[in-house]
Amino acid sequence: MTFGTILGAWVAVFLTLAIFSYLYKDNPFYKIAEHVFVGISAGYWASMFFWTQIQPNLFGRLWPASEYNADSFWYKIYNGLHVLTSAVFPEGGIDKGHDMHLIYLIPFALGVMMLLSVSSKLSWFARWGIAYTVGMAAGLRAYGFLNSNVIGQIKGSAMQFVGGDLPFFALIGNSIFNNIVILVGTIAGLAYFYFSKEHKGAFGKLTKLGIYFLMISFGASFGFAVMGRISLLIGRFVDLIDYSKPQYNHATIWILIAMIVLLGYNAFKDRGKNTPVSEDAA
Amino acid sequence: MKKIADFILKIGEMDRRWIFIIIALVVLLPLFFPIGLPIRPTDSTQTAYDAMDDLEHGSKVLMSFEYGPSTKPEIHPMTYAVLRHLFKNKHKVYITCLWPDGQFMAEEAIEEIAEQEFNLTYGKDYVLLGFRPGNEAVVKGIVSNIRKLYSTDARGTLTDKIPMMEGINKLADFDFIFTASAGYPGTVEWVQYGADPTGVPMSTGVTSIQVNEVMPYVQSGQVKGILAGMPGAAEYEKLVGIPGIGTSGMDAQSVAHVVIVLFIIFGNVAFFIERQRQKKY
Amino acid sequence: MILKRHIPILIVTVIGLLTLFGWFIEQPTIQAFVDDDATQWYDILASFAIILGAMNLLKMQGRKVIKQQEGWGYSLFAIGGFIFSILAGFVIKGSESVAWGTHVTSKGTLFKWMFEFMFTPLSATMFALLAFFVASASYRAFRIRNFEATLLLVAGIIIMLGRVPIGSYISSWFVMYILVLLIGIAVNVKFGNKMITFSSVLTGLLIVTVAGMLTGWPIDQPGIFYLPIIQEWIYYNPNVAGARAIMIGIGLGIFATSIRYILGIEKSYIGE
Repeated sequence: MTFGTILGAWVAVFLTLAIFSYLYKDNPFYKIAEHVFVGISAGYWASMFFWTQIQPNLFGRLWPASEYNADSFWYKIYNGLHVLTSAVFPEGGIDKGHDMHLIYLIPFALGVMMLLSVSSKLSWFARWGIAYTVGMAAGLRAYGFLNSNVIGQIKGSAMQFVGGDLPFFALIGNSIFNNIVILVGTIAGLAYFYFSKEHKGAFGKLTKLGIYFLMISFGASFGFAVMGRISLLIGRFVDLIDYSKPQYNHATIWILIAMIVLLGYNAFKDRGKNTPVSEDAA
Repeated sequence: MKKIADFILKIGEMDRRWIFIIIALVVLLPLFFPIGLPIRPTDSTQTAYDAMDDLEHGSKVLMSFEYGPSTKPEIHPMTYAVLRHLFKNKHKVYITCLWPDGQFMAEEAIEEIAEQEFNLTYGKDYVLLGFRPGNEAVVKGIVSNIRKLYSTDARGTLTDKIPMMEGINKLADFDFIFTASAGYPGTVEWVQYGADPTGVPMSTGVTSIQVNEVMPYVQSGQVKGILAGMPGAAEYEKLVGIPGIGTSGMDAQSVAHVVIVLFIIFGNVAFFIERQRQKKY
Repeated sequence: MILKRHIPILIVTVIGLLTLFGWFIEQPTIQAFVDDDATQWYDILASFAIILGAMNLLKMQGRKVIKQQEGWGYSLFAIGGFIFSILAGFVIKGSESVAWGTHVTSKGTLFKWMFEFMFTPLSATMFALLAFFVASASYRAFRIRNFEATLLLVAGIIIMLGRVPIGSYISSWFVMYILVLLIGIAVNVKFGNKMITFSSVLTGLLIVTVAGMLTGWPIDQPGIFYLPIIQEWIYYNPNVAGARAIMIGIGLGIFATSIRYILGIEKSYIGE
């Protein structure tokens, strides 16, 4: 086990237990871990997106290695950038298998405008780039959601109800009764979301049935939500147990003891004062 | 009777930190002292397994990793189990990622399953195409021209030079899609922009939270079966015949669920007792 | 005004229409742009947006430190974390055999170390924390106040128990006995008569016991009372109906909202 791995294990255990310490009450360990998380996340995502998108797909299309020409004005700019940072602009152009597409100066310009919008005077600069992404997303989603979420689901609800070889009722697998339940439930649930007509009389009864189906669905979602959260907790505990082993110098045990002692001492010092416990909805 | 009712009411108002301790113990103890409860595969997992098992040996399967460290305990076991199943049946596996962390998860899975367990050759038996940002735009790109989107793989090799990329130009050239998804972008985007328009059959493994969002696609046949969270992963491990991380977590999962159900029942009993008393007085 | 308002609206309309009709137009140049370049530009702008977010974070935390606002000490940790991750991403590779670019996903690099031992534990633990709060909410807040809440609770309990291995161990006869007791409570609420309640509960218990003795108490029969099977039926039928209704509703809503953006009716992206 290398020193880097052991150090990493101790850092991971400290950060994990610091986040869990919030369950006792809000404390400096938790605040430190939370702020480190914010900083690390921002840097992680920025680095990741730069190296997987901007450098290969944008710069790789503006200055591809396949069309490198040291005498051209365009590549003289590149060579200047290479002097600044050879990691991002390696010698001889960027070799990612692209041809030159100077039209990519448009997203480059929009992107730079986005970055300049960090200044409050130039905040409107970001609008053009945002407008492009909004337009693109709107066009993509209008078709995608209509096709799969509406038409696809309506097609899925059009099932066999009479004749054929389906049994009338089956607990597992297809049956005519199950198909009727799904169709009636879908229509009743949709009826509930129709607010242009008052939910009274026969329509009111249909919407009431719709609520019952929706409640069953929400209950199932709740069950799955609990299942998911417990699974994640199991995952963390498995890691903590792993890091308590001798090859990691019993990191979990030592850090746990240290945190309990420090938080306990803090609680002892603050006894008698009204300090708030960890706040949440329940 | 009154003393019991008073006791129940008192417990109903206890500091939530006692509840936290109970949950921590209930999850921790089965990890140290496994009970070994047998796992029964559900219909949805069986359907996903059968869909992949029915593929002809040597089929081209696109596997997409859309999860990160926060949902790793739920999805990682299922990707391991699915990879084992695919490699056992000698399928060619092409791995893409719509999440950047997905690439790290994929690297881990490949190292353990493809390299160490099955001793397979990169570029011939499996390839990691890697992460591309753009969410559903990436799926659209794969549908129309995968080589333009993936001019190189995750290791920097030009895709034109990778042997198993021969004949692969768009999504329709694949025989099956499996997505391991934890949210957006993920299964829904693959259904909407990938599987539905091209007709390539697909299956999926999702976090427990996402199951209900995807169930209508499963029920309508747009997605062939679903692996739901860690229990789904454990069921798939059972079907593949190789227990893994999913199976080992099931005891803790079972006990924790029972305890939470008891919490709900106990909480409501306390609520009813209090309501009766308020009505009385 | 033209630059700040009209041009963004024009961009949304043109690009939105191009992308929407791009699904149906077979003209090669337009198809090539919509399928390839347009999506690449989208990716690139999304990446710039992420970097903008990081810059804004640095600006906010830096301002807190400079003005020494409350909690500015913690902001130093945020800035320190950011600087460390930028160093790992752009300055210190940590492994000479890995090229810049692939270092963000290769083993042995400082960036990978940061991902494995800092980013992963932090993000995973933040999510895992919710397990405790879900348990606390189940105990303190989840109350049966009406029929709808009862449906939600019962569906949730059946899914929670039926989907895990322990659900297979709960005999269908145990579920039947619980049902008899619940029916007894309902009868008591309806009629308020102890004799009627007692006789209905006794009858129910006798029927279940005799049926069990005659059939030999099979754990999974009758199937309609066996938790894994009830769970499967609920999962595939009423649950799907509810989820499908929500999905169709959301689909129609998103289609309508997308058209509103494309036609310039919705202008929230420019702050209107």
